[in-house]
Amino acid sequence: MTNFLKKYSNQLNGYFFILPAVFVISLFGIFPVFFGMYMSIHKWKVFKGRFLGFENYQKILGDISSFWLFILGLLIMIFSYWFWTEYKNKLKNNYIVFGVSILFLILSLIIINYSWASMMETGDKDFLYSLIYVFYYSFFSITLEVGLGLLIAFSLYQKLKGKQFFQMILLFPYITPAVMGGAVFFIIFGRAENSLLNELIGFFGFEPQLWLFDKRTLSEILFGIEAKGFFAGPSLALTTSILYGIWSYTGYYAIILLAGLSIIPSDLYEAAKTEGASRWQVFTKITIPLLMPIIFFLLLTGFINSFQAFNHILVMQTSSAGETMDVVTIEIFDHFWDRVKFGYAAAEGVILFIILNVLAISQYVIFRKNLNYD
Amino acid sequence: MIKFNYKELILPYFILFIVVVLSIYPILYMISTSLMTSGEAANQYLFPKKLMFENYVEVWSSSNFQKYTINSIIISSIVVLGVLCTSIPAAYAFAKIDFPFRNIIFYSLLLSLMIPEIISLLPHLLIIRGDIFPLPFGPSWMNTLQGLTVPFFGNVFIIFLLRQYFKKIPNELWDAARIDGSTHFYFLRKIVIPMSRPIIVTVSLFAFILAWNSFAWPLLILTRDDWFPVTVSIYSFIREVGANYNLLMAACLIAIFPIIALYFFTQKFFLESISNFGIKE
Repeated sequence: MTNFLKKYSNQLNGYFFILPAVFVISLFGIFPVFFGMYMSIHKWKVFKGRFLGFENYQKILGDISSFWLFILGLLIMIFSYWFWTEYKNKLKNNYIVFGVSILFLILSLIIINYSWASMMETGDKDFLYSLIYVFYYSFFSITLEVGLGLLIAFSLYQKLKGKQFFQMILLFPYITPAVMGGAVFFIIFGRAENSLLNELIGFFGFEPQLWLFDKRTLSEILFGIEAKGFFAGPSLALTTSILYGIWSYTGYYAIILLAGLSIIPSDLYEAAKTEGASRWQVFTKITIPLLMPIIFFLLLTGFINSFQAFNHILVMQTSSAGETMDVVTIEIFDHFWDRVKFGYAAAEGVILFIILNVLAISQYVIFRKNLNYD
Repeated sequence: MIKFNYKELILPYFILFIVVVLSIYPILYMISTSLMTSGEAANQYLFPKKLMFENYVEVWSSSNFQKYTINSIIISSIVVLGVLCTSIPAAYAFAKIDFPFRNIIFYSLLLSLMIPEIISLLPHLLIIRGDIFPLPFGPSWMNTLQGLTVPFFGNVFIIFLLRQYFKKIPNELWDAARIDGSTHFYFLRKIVIPMSRPIIVTVSLFAFILAWNSFAWPLLILTRDDWFPVTVSIYSFIREVGANYNLLMAACLIAIFPIIALYFFTQKFFLESISNFGIKE
């Protein structure tokens, strides 16, 4: 016995050390996904009811096969991109590769459009719309956060005085708790006509707005177009919550991007300089490609995080904005907290989980070429 | 890198100036409004005519808010302690001890970062209610301190950050310690932890902020206000009809004060580890 202990003491120590963490994480981090799947196929109000099979999914998606068709459409779309990047330089005839990938793209768009329309017709409209809203939220907030973050990182990279101070202030919004930050935004973006913000935009010649209390879409407010469906864009209320997301994360991204900028070896720049490259060329040919792994990492984690945005949206929600701020997390929370439909909410969660995984795959495929971690 | 010359530097300064103003404006707004009378706050004045420090006293002495703030401090501190107790040994084992399936276990833990929190919320609720398996310390953890804290004792992200740091500690140190008859536990306590103070401070702040921020979970499991944290109380404050904005802002300011204070003391470490975070080893 003692021999055994002595021989394997290293291994036993290892397992012993990770045991508490693995126990808590598997119980509260991994087990819930499987249990959520189990819940989603039962009738579950507050307590477990009878077995339902896929009835909950049917209610949400209308027809489950059109959901899989939708996922297939997304995968074909990714495939068309993969096909193009993989074969454009390998085959002699570039046009055929281009044509084939365009064909796949069109096919995928048709499938997505068709399956989405059929889900909309028979499924739970509130849930499907909440997916569109969260897509708006993620797409606009992430692109702006990373774009602006890059601009700020670039500014910080110059020889400046007070760099430490700027960095400290930049992280300030990031550490501000979302409920308190949301409370301030709730007042600043209030509906009072004489509010500071409305006077500020009035100074630039704009009409006062209702901000968080406005459910009209941006396209309607800015251009007077009354569009419906996916291309209508986010409502003004949702846009305000996007602004909150940008406010709180841009500085954080800027700090990470700055760190990425500073590890690019300087001899690369000197080489480019002696070759007579312009600043723009240096930026697009050296800086961006070398930053790509970090940008990829930020986009991936950012997308997954912003799909889960919850606290500040719940705080900033107003009844006059209607459902236009009901992103998917709010929708799920609403189902099991207000309406006590546990099984239904669990099914919605599983669908969200599947979609997030497809997004993760697609981002990996898109940036695969630019990833070089070594 | 594309360096700007002396004259062109005005552009980055200008950008950063705007960013700084926008970043701290909401906090300045909070401070200024919290010092107004309720009439001034409702009309969104820029500055108060007379500084109403009484607002803070009024918010603080309304007995419940005091209790909620203390609750938040207790909850967050326990979460920080719990996270450190599970994460430091685990990160050390993943970084320094060689045992079978080490990497498989680590990467499958990392995968759990992909799981949206909203999915876990519901099963968590059932676990805490004691529906799935019997719990120690009582039939149900609803409305209890352990229910608020224990689910957050494991944090993959923090293990990841700690492991990155521990990996940099040279193996020779352990070899030397082992020859002197040291155990892993002793080595961890006497050498590794003192060497890793910056990262431990950072992850503690991180865990503290996360716990201070927690909102959906307390909203779900608390039906009485014994353990209400500040976030929940501020949320119900906003939802009140005709809430006084000046008092609301005073409450918010009190509620973010601990976070800001901690941040100022630890920002150097915090900044460093965030900068290192995106860069793979």
